[in-house]
Amino acid sequence: MAPAPYLVFDGVAKYFGDLEVVAPTFDLAIKRNEFVVFLGPSGSGKTTLMRMVGGLETPTAGEIRLDGQPIDGPDRDRGMVFQSYSSFPWLTVAQNVAYGMKYRLDMTPERKQRRLAHYLELVGLADFADAYPNKVSGGMRQRIAIARTLAAGSDVLLMDEPFGALDAQRREDLQLELRRIQRQDAKTVIFVTHDVDEAVFLADRIIIFSKRPARMLEEIDIAATLGPDRTLELRDSERFFKLRTEILKFVRIAAGHEN
Amino acid sequence: MMSKATATTVSGRTSDIVEQVPPPRAPAARKHMRNQFFTFRGNLSKHAQILTSVCASLIVIATWEISTRLGWINSLFLPPPSVTIETLWTMITQKHLLLNAGISTLRVWVAFAISVVMAVPIGIAMSSFRGVGAALEPIVDFIRYLPVPALVPLSIIWFGVGETTKIFLLWLGTFFQLVLLVADDMRRVPQEYVEIAYTVGARPRQMLTDVAFRAMLPSLFDNLRITLGWCWTYLIIAEIVAADNGLGFVIWAARRYMNTSEVMAGVVTIGLIGLLTDQILRLVHKRLFRYL
Ligand SMILES: Nc1ncnc2c1ncn2[C@@H]1O[C@H](COP(=O)(O)OP(=O)(O)OP(=O)(O)O)[C@@H](O)[C@H]1O
Ligand SMILES: [Mg+2]
Repeated sequence: MAPAPYLVFDGVAKYFGDLEVVAPTFDLAIKRNEFVVFLGPSGSGKTTLMRMVGGLETPTAGEIRLDGQPIDGPDRDRGMVFQSYSSFPWLTVAQNVAYGMKYRLDMTPERKQRRLAHYLELVGLADFADAYPNKVSGGMRQRIAIARTLAAGSDVLLMDEPFGALDAQRREDLQLELRRIQRQDAKTVIFVTHDVDEAVFLADRIIIFSKRPARMLEEIDIAATLGPDRTLELRDSERFFKLRTEILKFVRIAAGHEN
Repeated sequence: MMSKATATTVSGRTSDIVEQVPPPRAPAARKHMRNQFFTFRGNLSKHAQILTSVCASLIVIATWEISTRLGWINSLFLPPPSVTIETLWTMITQKHLLLNAGISTLRVWVAFAISVVMAVPIGIAMSSFRGVGAALEPIVDFIRYLPVPALVPLSIIWFGVGETTKIFLLWLGTFFQLVLLVADDMRRVPQEYVEIAYTVGARPRQMLTDVAFRAMLPSLFDNLRITLGWCWTYLIIAEIVAADNGLGFVIWAARRYMNTSEVMAGVVTIGLIGLLTDQILRLVHKRLFRYL
């Protein structure tokens, strides 16, 4: 018997005034511990879908359920990395990352300290722990947001183009690490990117969206071909290459450049 | 002097080099500085800025002095700075000027403190909760446009001519302005900050105190600094109509005898208090908000 879906979009539609952003009706079921990547043209409504899961927007119609419970407002079971990756200017880098755990009464101060050190190290900000955000680069600020969200330890991670401003090496490191964390800590991830390579490397499943209003055009089961473990060698494999080419074709179709 | 110049050059602090490095680099540096004067958001060294402030003030004072000395301006109407300073001194030593200044300052701060304590929570509530905003905005806007002097008679009828009237008038002049400024400060806190707080599990109250209030602090501080200045305007009005001490009273009493130099001395005292307060508050701002 297949496991019951964990995160469910049930007949969702979203309008901003007259602007139709998510076409009725959008249905999608995500399994626990699944890594889903959203790919689609700019302005298609991916961020809006994520924000609805985060509880920051309400669907105009339908509902989104997490573990059977309809989503009603934001909470810490759903951590978010925002597309604009902002941080608080009055807190140092370390304090910003620690803010992710501020309201976790279930963690001891020692545990928080250990996690803070770990995630600062992970995103390569340990040397800038005491700097204020306005003194670090854009890529570093993005890493603050990533570390804060990971440190918060939510079961569901909503990541909106989180690696956009990073250099290639850092990006590769964080992709590996994110995939490792997701497997190890049994996290459910929705990840938005425009980078097809990144999408294939990370995803269990890729959803390709149409132009606005968002409609699911294509659904590709990556895990079936690549399996759960992702290594750097995989990137050079023929399987990986074939998937990539296939998805690039879908992306072109979604953008309306090819039919 | 020479050794100091060498020392700074060696330590390589560029901000000092402009004034202290000997030729041949000096002409270029000096030219650079002159350009910076009129460059939009240019880089003028700290020293150059202070020097400019002092020079500009001196020029104004000198022009004032000279034009009265040469008889371009009747010194009966505008006594020269030298006379004003002399009067200031005799007023300090013989006429309790400092005591009166202290009384006025106290009034300003008491009224200001009351306004702040009321305006900050109310202003925050007005922009945080639509209901509160909708309820209070029309009332605040209405009173805000009433000129304080127009309410002097009413306030004397209500409170007599004691301290209450003065504090009330000052409060009236600042509270209603401040409450809207505070509401605006809160409104300008980026929605993203609020969303970050909620997605890591903050309750609304925690979001307000840990994030929204913290985010608005720098601009709130600026607005308080500006409003404090307005307090002085209303103070003088209050002290003119209903007081037997304080700077407003001193100025108004001197006017009765056409004693312009005492009027000037009173006015200058207010200016000096303002200058001092503002500089101190700027310093505090810099200390508190190092991250900006
Ligand atoms: N709060 C809002 N009010 C009105 N319109 C909005 C709002 N948020 C988003 N939109 C509109 O909804 C559409 C989808 O926006 P969204 O940010 O979800 O796109 P996206 O797929 O994330 O794009 P990108 O890949 O560029 O990030 C856009 O046309 C946008 O202008
Ligand atoms: Mg987006």
